[in-house]
Amino acid sequence: MNSVITLTLPGDIRFTRLASQTASNTASLFTDTCNAGAGNWEFSHAFELAVSEAFTNAVNYGDRMQGTRDITITFTIEQRKLTVAIRDANAPFSAETPEPDIETYPERGYGLMLIRTLMDTVTICRENGENVITMTKQL
Amino acid sequence: MTITEKLSSGITIVELCGTIDASTAPELQRHQAISDPTRTIVIDLARLDFLDSSGLGAIIGAAHRKEESGANMLLSCMNQKVRRVFDITGTVRLFHIFDETAAAIDYATTLRKSQ
Repeated sequence: MNSVITLTLPGDIRFTRLASQTASNTASLFTDTCNAGAGNWEFSHAFELAVSEAFTNAVNYGDRMQGTRDITITFTIEQRKLTVAIRDANAPFSAETPEPDIETYPERGYGLMLIRTLMDTVTICRENGENVITMTKQL
Repeated sequence: MTITEKLSSGITIVELCGTIDASTAPELQRHQAISDPTRTIVIDLARLDFLDSSGLGAIIGAAHRKEESGANMLLSCMNQKVRRVFDITGTVRLFHIFDETAAAIDYATTLRKSQ
């Protein structure tokens, strides 16, 4: 049976750490439940970092509109698979953002690169007037 | 995040503690020793628990500005989580990274003498 955990936060950059720590704690709980061992820091850190990046993107897109809307984070725990979906009703987010030219070491643009590297699957879509980024990783 | 500054052998050491993400990166960018493009510094990351791309961007931006002014930014004592961000983004190649802060200070001192 799947377990679902939902967290709704104001679309405010000050809540970024709460979102990423919740992701880390949820991933740690998941690995403990699966008896994956306490040494599996990479799995927890992957979710901590991916959620930090996705939450920041959601807030930044919200800033382009008048008033930033709430952001909902949903964790779905399945057998040896953890999924996190981040939803916001802000301006449409483009998944076509080009990866940074790493030869010039730009200051911005690494967020999606990190997410795509850390997660097994990443989907970004517009659904019922919301941006939804869904990220999955298997143990 | 807390930022502590100290001087060793004439080199400024900036110690970062806690978390650097989008909510704290602006404070890092404003810090005097980091934002001063002419000042060579060592950033000690031993007590930095978490870094995301916002924090990485703040560090890269400061490093670029120092390099343009002939100064340097050296990094020391990264934990695995912080190192992973530099590795994935390839920005590990932009920096001189040391396991020990003392070695970074020695290198910074050498750089200063050669300038």
